[in-house]
Amino acid sequence: MEVPHYHRGFFNSDETLCKIGDGEIGGKASGLFSFQELLKNHLNKSKYTSINIKIPKFVVIATDHFDGFMKMNNLYEAALSDLSDKRKAKLFQDSQLPPEIVGDLRTIITNTSTPLAIRSSSLLEDSLNEPFAGVYATKMIANHEASQDKRFQKFVEAIKFVYSSTFFKSALQYFEATKNDPRKEKMAIIIQEVIGTKRNKRFYPSISGVARSHNYYPFGRSKSEDGVVNLALGLGKTIVDGGISWMYNPKYPKISAPFASPKELMKNTQNKFLAVNINPIINYDPLVESEYLIELDLSDSDFDHSNEYSASTFDFHSNKIIMGTGSEGARVLDFGRLLKLDEFKYNLLINDLLQTCSNYFQSPVEIEFAFDIDKRTKKNEFALLQVRAMFVSNEIIEIEENEFNSPKAIIRTKQALGNDKISEIKDVVYVDPKKFESKFTKQIASEVEGFNREFVKIGLKYLLIGFGRWGSSDEWLGIPVDWSQVSNAKVIVESSLPNFNVDFSQGSHFFHNIAAFKVLYFSVKNSGSNMINWDWLLRQNLSSQKQFVKHISLTDPLKIKVDGRTGNGIISYE
Amino acid sequence: MQTKEFNPFDMAQSQFDKVAEILGLDDGTRQLLRNPLREYHFGIPVRMDDGTFQVFRGFRVQHNDARGPSKGGIRFHPQETADTVKALSMWMTWKCAVVGIPLGGGKGGVICDPHNLSMREQEQICRGWVRQMSKNVGPLNDVPAPDVMTSAQHMLWMLDEYEVIEGSKNPGFITGKPVGMGGSLGRTEATGYGVIFTVREALNDMGISPEDTRASVQGFGNVAQHAIRLYSQMGGTVVCVSSWDQQDQKSYSFKKLSGVDIDELLKITDRFGGIDKAKATNLGYEVLDGDAWIEQDVEILLPAALENQIREDNVDKISAKVKIIAEGANGPTTPAADKVIQERGIFLIPDFLANAGGVTCSYFEQVQSNMNYFWEKDEVLGKLDVKMTAAFQAVNDLAKKRNMYMRDAAYVISISRVAQACKDRGWV
Repeated sequence: MEVPHYHRGFFNSDETLCKIGDGEIGGKASGLFSFQELLKNHLNKSKYTSINIKIPKFVVIATDHFDGFMKMNNLYEAALSDLSDKRKAKLFQDSQLPPEIVGDLRTIITNTSTPLAIRSSSLLEDSLNEPFAGVYATKMIANHEASQDKRFQKFVEAIKFVYSSTFFKSALQYFEATKNDPRKEKMAIIIQEVIGTKRNKRFYPSISGVARSHNYYPFGRSKSEDGVVNLALGLGKTIVDGGISWMYNPKYPKISAPFASPKELMKNTQNKFLAVNINPIINYDPLVESEYLIELDLSDSDFDHSNEYSASTFDFHSNKIIMGTGSEGARVLDFGRLLKLDEFKYNLLINDLLQTCSNYFQSPVEIEFAFDIDKRTKKNEFALLQVRAMFVSNEIIEIEENEFNSPKAIIRTKQALGNDKISEIKDVVYVDPKKFESKFTKQIASEVEGFNREFVKIGLKYLLIGFGRWGSSDEWLGIPVDWSQVSNAKVIVESSLPNFNVDFSQGSHFFHNIAAFKVLYFSVKNSGSNMINWDWLLRQNLSSQKQFVKHISLTDPLKIKVDGRTGNGIISYE
Repeated sequence: MQTKEFNPFDMAQSQFDKVAEILGLDDGTRQLLRNPLREYHFGIPVRMDDGTFQVFRGFRVQHNDARGPSKGGIRFHPQETADTVKALSMWMTWKCAVVGIPLGGGKGGVICDPHNLSMREQEQICRGWVRQMSKNVGPLNDVPAPDVMTSAQHMLWMLDEYEVIEGSKNPGFITGKPVGMGGSLGRTEATGYGVIFTVREALNDMGISPEDTRASVQGFGNVAQHAIRLYSQMGGTVVCVSSWDQQDQKSYSFKKLSGVDIDELLKITDRFGGIDKAKATNLGYEVLDGDAWIEQDVEILLPAALENQIREDNVDKISAKVKIIAEGANGPTTPAADKVIQERGIFLIPDFLANAGGVTCSYFEQVQSNMNYFWEKDEVLGKLDVKMTAAFQAVNDLAKKRNMYMRDAAYVISISRVAQACKDRGWV
């Protein structure tokens, strides 16, 4: 793979990508590089004449400069220590970038004036079996200030921040969990133009999305192989971080999601969105990933005229949702106009992309994209931001009916994810159902992390049981952990309580890890044949306990099975 | 080292005359530019540590300030001459112009040998120099800087004296100050790094990767040390470096075919850049004659010591493998040797382009000092690279376009800029 070298006229040329340095370009950048080849040779762009399909220009700082940076500033000792993330980030900020690259970096700033995404692209990231996706930071910078010096300063700060994130607590825990040596990890950095339009001192695409060719969560009549697409207004971080987005089956894009009422729909769809803040005054904090991000209300998109293809309107007279934004009323993001009217052949494009990429990579794929539609500038820009192979298991697991209905079952569900049989787990960590309240979810997350950290040290895998959406960014809908806080859980159960009955998590990022690590995921609403035998669990002797979270250590291992074809899952004692 | 017959000012004038001819400059402009605008010669009386008095000869030459305040270093050297200072001030004018910074050219010096002077005596020379010159230098007129055998400490003494005389704080009066006392981050590295930025661009233009090259370096002072470091970081291999031995009063070359290790050598180097011969031998270096650096089988030669080092008598020793000579020092090549280099088709990066990183960073320091707001090192070095690369490319483009020797192309660009400034001001 021969990636051309950066030259100072790059941003004024037709070229799409290049690299600074001679080292590796990392997993993410390699994916994008393949994507470019694929777009050029395998996708018939003439079928979608009303869409301008592109890969945003990007420059990669190769891994040799990461090595140079670490060595020149003697950073390894501090980086691998247990200093706090902030202290590490500060140390990295106080260090110097290799002098041989700062001139090139300066010219990137001289030649760009729209927001830039500074993204990690490490050697381990997005490799097929161990996706470090989301472990490292991505920092957006507004790159809008009049002063070139100021823009350069913020740019350099962002690069150093992404470098420092290689050694943040969550990353080091991840290394430990995956038995990788952090000294062998090398970070390349992607510098990429953010796709979007400037709208009232904020910059964002009107639509972001993640499309997968295999659906780990097939519901209704969907099949796993139909794939699944998540859409959001604004920056794609909303989807990647597991926030609320619009999920649909790309084979049947016009089928509405099964919400009980318009009010339910409004309650359970995206009502905030993210943008790059290009206000001249921001809170200066180079040690924070979201320094330039701003969260906006859905109503702000009305002012920006950015929701015409994503929003519909609630008509309270008729208690109905009316497609589009032509009438007055509360907006709801169901992407009706985009998916149902399909003015741009967007649906065809998504299906073709999933098909073409799956064939090319010979594996199910995940594609991250932004689709910016701006009527004023007549821009219909579809940008491909990332592609990676997904993990899919091939084993077949059988669960007999008598086994499924066995009286020894302690957890049973028809909504299990994964495909595996496990018989080594003796440790169970559960959130006490008597004490759980959604206002305590942050504290619960912290307690779970405490158990997980100890288990990582001794290499112990466990069964984790909680309520609501694991990994939710909204603490009122579930327990807001990130992957590193539960990284040693081999089986995760999300359940409900009579007074806490939210829709289960179907977040994307988190589940990519779950699938890759073959973690079995049980969604158990206490109804029908789904159940958790709390009586049995609460009778077991506690090994240790915190305020909300308990740990039991059984004498005999549990029998755990999930049949990936049916979604049946069972956990029983011997 | 320097021969008696060699007169750097004659050399600077002959270089100018050649380019004036190419540019077709009128007589008035030629007369103005082939001589300095102003020259100051003065005595600096100093009470020595033993109680005796000694008067040191000091100079300041302001060659041309049509494009901005004069800028140039102050040298402490026993063989200092007024003609050397005049030549160097003229080269400063061209240097500032070729990198496009709004400064003119100046140079100063004192005939003295700091090796034989105590720090107190050196301080007295510095303060005496400023007392003599304070009315004719300053942030808006002429901004001195460190040069041969002067350091940040000397600059600070000079600044202090100047501020006492002026009765106000004027950090922009002088550059090369210590970081934290009005100095700029990156200033120490600037000249050496600047040389390598231009070498990098030349290699890039030739389609050669730095990893496939070796270099031999004359000198082991600040410029050479940082040039070696950056060149090595880029993947190149330095196989030979020469340095001045204070005790033996001669230079030696230190050769290691597997590549010199800069950190290893720095540990056995004295404050004047002299490498310990015995220790170097123990580390596996071959200790050769001082001139051996020039005859190495390398792709790149970096003369980064003093002027008049590549001469008619040793130019033929340059290996056939040499593709690039980057002049880190001022005036290291005599006109006769220059002719041979040109005829042999070796790509030459002329001194006032190759080592302009120092003055460019001095300019950055001056700007920062005048604002009293200081930049991060990444910012300084980033700007430096951009300036140096742009300057190199402009010269290289012109050289290619008009099939000129690089030195001539660089002179054409800078002299035409200065001549234009003089014309625009109505001087000629």
